[in-house]
Amino acid sequence: MLGLWRKIRRTGRVAEPAPPRPVAGPLAAAVGLGGSVQIRHVDAGSCNGCEVEIGSAFGPMYDAERYGARLVASPRHADALLVTGVVTRNMAEPLRRTFEAVPAPKLVVAVGDCARNCGVFAGAYGVVGAVGDIVPVDVEIAGCPPRPEAIVEGLRKLTGR
Amino acid sequence: MNLTGVGLGAAVVIGVCTALLGLVLPSRARPAAVGVGTALTGAAGVLAGAAALAGRSFTVALPGVLPLSGVEFALDALGGLFVAVTGAVAVAASVFAIGYARSHGLGARGVQVVFPLFVLAMLLVPAAASVGTLLVCWELMALTSLLLVLAEHRQRREVAAAGRWYAVMTHLGFLAILTGLLLFAAHATDDSFTALRQAAQQLPPGVGGAVFVATLIGFGSKAGVVPLHAWLPRAHPEAPSHVSALMSAAMVNLGVYGIIRVGFDLLGFSMLGAGARWWWLLVLGLGAVSAVYGILQAAMSTDLKRLLGYSTTENMGLVLVGLGAAGLFASLGQPVLAGLALGAALLHVLNHAAFKSLLFLAAGSVLHATGTRDLDALGGLRTAMPVTTGLFGLGALGASALPPGTAFVSEWLLLQALIHGLPSAGGASTLTGTGTSTAMAIAMPVAVAAIALSAGLAVATFVKAFGVGFLAKPRSAQAERAHESPPSMLAGMGLAAIACIALALLPTTVLPALSSAVAAAGTAAVGSHPAEAGLITLRLAGVAGVLSPLSLAVALLLGALLTAGLARAVTARRQRGGALGPGGGRRVARLWDCGGGPLSARMEYTATSFAEPLQRVFDDVVAPETDVDVDHHVESRYLVRAVEYRRRVPDRIERRLYQPILDGVAWWGRVGRGVASGSVHRYLGYGFYTVCAALLLLALAR
Repeated sequence: MLGLWRKIRRTGRVAEPAPPRPVAGPLAAAVGLGGSVQIRHVDAGSCNGCEVEIGSAFGPMYDAERYGARLVASPRHADALLVTGVVTRNMAEPLRRTFEAVPAPKLVVAVGDCARNCGVFAGAYGVVGAVGDIVPVDVEIAGCPPRPEAIVEGLRKLTGR
Repeated sequence: MNLTGVGLGAAVVIGVCTALLGLVLPSRARPAAVGVGTALTGAAGVLAGAAALAGRSFTVALPGVLPLSGVEFALDALGGLFVAVTGAVAVAASVFAIGYARSHGLGARGVQVVFPLFVLAMLLVPAAASVGTLLVCWELMALTSLLLVLAEHRQRREVAAAGRWYAVMTHLGFLAILTGLLLFAAHATDDSFTALRQAAQQLPPGVGGAVFVATLIGFGSKAGVVPLHAWLPRAHPEAPSHVSALMSAAMVNLGVYGIIRVGFDLLGFSMLGAGARWWWLLVLGLGAVSAVYGILQAAMSTDLKRLLGYSTTENMGLVLVGLGAAGLFASLGQPVLAGLALGAALLHVLNHAAFKSLLFLAAGSVLHATGTRDLDALGGLRTAMPVTTGLFGLGALGASALPPGTAFVSEWLLLQALIHGLPSAGGASTLTGTGTSTAMAIAMPVAVAAIALSAGLAVATFVKAFGVGFLAKPRSAQAERAHESPPSMLAGMGLAAIACIALALLPTTVLPALSSAVAAAGTAAVGSHPAEAGLITLRLAGVAGVLSPLSLAVALLLGALLTAGLARAVTARRQRGGALGPGGGRRVARLWDCGGGPLSARMEYTATSFAEPLQRVFDDVVAPETDVDVDHHVESRYLVRAVEYRRRVPDRIERRLYQPILDGVAWWGRVGRGVASGSVHRYLGYGFYTVCAALLLLALAR
């Protein structure tokens, strides 16, 4: 415990300086959330590259939580879904159900090229389609994988902060 | 002959006539006739008991009936309480039995003849007024109950084993009672209870102790107290359910009755010095151990009726804690607290009888509908059997000692007695010496802790029994095919449920009866008024403490309604706000199952998995056995074909205590086989040498 405290004190604050606030404000669909967006991450068939980047986006360096975005453990608690990867055959129905389980108003963020347009897996066996073919997508974040800055920028479109 | 006598006489006449009817009627009409007759027997018993509680005691001596000792009956308020409880349980059980016996092949002549006789024997035990009468009635009760336990021996092998355990233990108990009471009677002019009471004044302390311990062993084994409980979780599940209800709610009470009768009434307090205090410390300790151990085993159990059987051990343990505390207080010169503790124990007997008969009858209804008692195979009964589910829920609430439940009031009274006993023990140290007060200062908090622990475990146990057994989805085909029971079974459960609700909400109505029973049990050393009863409020006499179960229940109900109303109002307000789209604040959504396919019954909590955390906590006490067998393919040790996992939670006391004795008996049998070779000459030789040895001994000893 004491070691942890010492580590915290020695390391200090490592977060990058915040980029300027988005001028457009939050998306129209996200206005009702008031700048606080609870997010459930769904891996629909990702290679886990995007997961690594999401991990760093919410880590101490990029610290997405300071803009009002927060990862939660159940779609029942969530305002938005963060979907990564192409939608595989086995994950299509669970993705649909997860979307249904999120209370309205709800938003979907497609993270990475695979989620946007199937990326390198387009036409592969077992792939049903991109995330947009299964559930309505509100925000897309491009990149293979997208850099944490891109993910943070995409999330700030929801929070408007 | 007053009302008490009329009631008791009517019970005997109706009971015997019912047995005869069962003998002559054809099998189609038999269950209904026997059920109604036994219910009437029970009702007559209730009448006799109520009249005795109202102060009309009754005595009759029939010297010609039984050779040598004669038969003598006397029903006072203490006996009346137990007769009334037994009668009431018998009414509910026999109404239930009409429907139950018809469907379970229990309409056989033997079972139907014995059933009313069993009820009758139980009604007569508390009315017996001499050692001979008591022992005859006791043995009659033991034999008839044994025959009833064996009723289904053709269907299942375990029944025979259970019957063997029950037969041996109940007769060893009988032997202990016989020894104790005959030792007592040897110091009296004759074997009537009046003579015993007089003889108790000049009884040597050693003899008094021996009598008490012997009768405690005998009556304690009937009450299912640890470590003499081994028969109870075997016999109760294997007996037909209405018989289990009678045994668990009425018969075990008679063990308590015997301890009160001998300890408080016959041995009395006139002779009690410091030496007798260990009796009651012993009773208190046994009670505390039984309470905790019983409910712990119940929490581990996955057999519904076995769970209820262990819960009986727990509740009898709580009653014994009350008795022990009452004896301790009385011997310390604290009549007020002694009366309170004894009153609490008797009220708990009453409450336990009500909720346990309801629970056993409901378990019988489940068994009737599904054919299984295994909680891991039940579930989902709520839709198929709504009435049984509701009634079992009521019983489970009663058994878990939570505020609107039945057992709450009596456990609260018991805790009040024990807690108020603490400072008095310190105060009494000047009078009685420091040794005793140290024992008290240790015993009382330990007893309080035992009661608190058993109450907490009881909640977990009955949440498990109700939640796993009745809610969620059916876990087996049998549970899926469940159907509601016939009306007579529901009526039997309904009667027990009414008693439960009445005792839970208005325990004040039975307090006058309880006071007179307490007064009849004790001499001046036990205060006769445990509590003053207003219509609604229960106010303890002599010590501070007020409880109003009815207002508590009403407050809880209001709180629940208020919360539900508030939640509804909040969602309605949001709906008006309209910020959330057409559905508003409320919508119907699919149960969240992590997006995977439909939830199957195999994903549910089972009774085993529900109890697993508890088993882990009490690992050192319950000592579960786990076996993991891994089968490999023949080709390679690295390819696993099957993994088999088995877990058992054996009764540890039983294994440690009984297994060596059983092994010893088996060894003795093997050794004896060599001596008994079957040769007649040899046996004649044994006789000859024995006679010679006896003669030699006599000649030398002279």
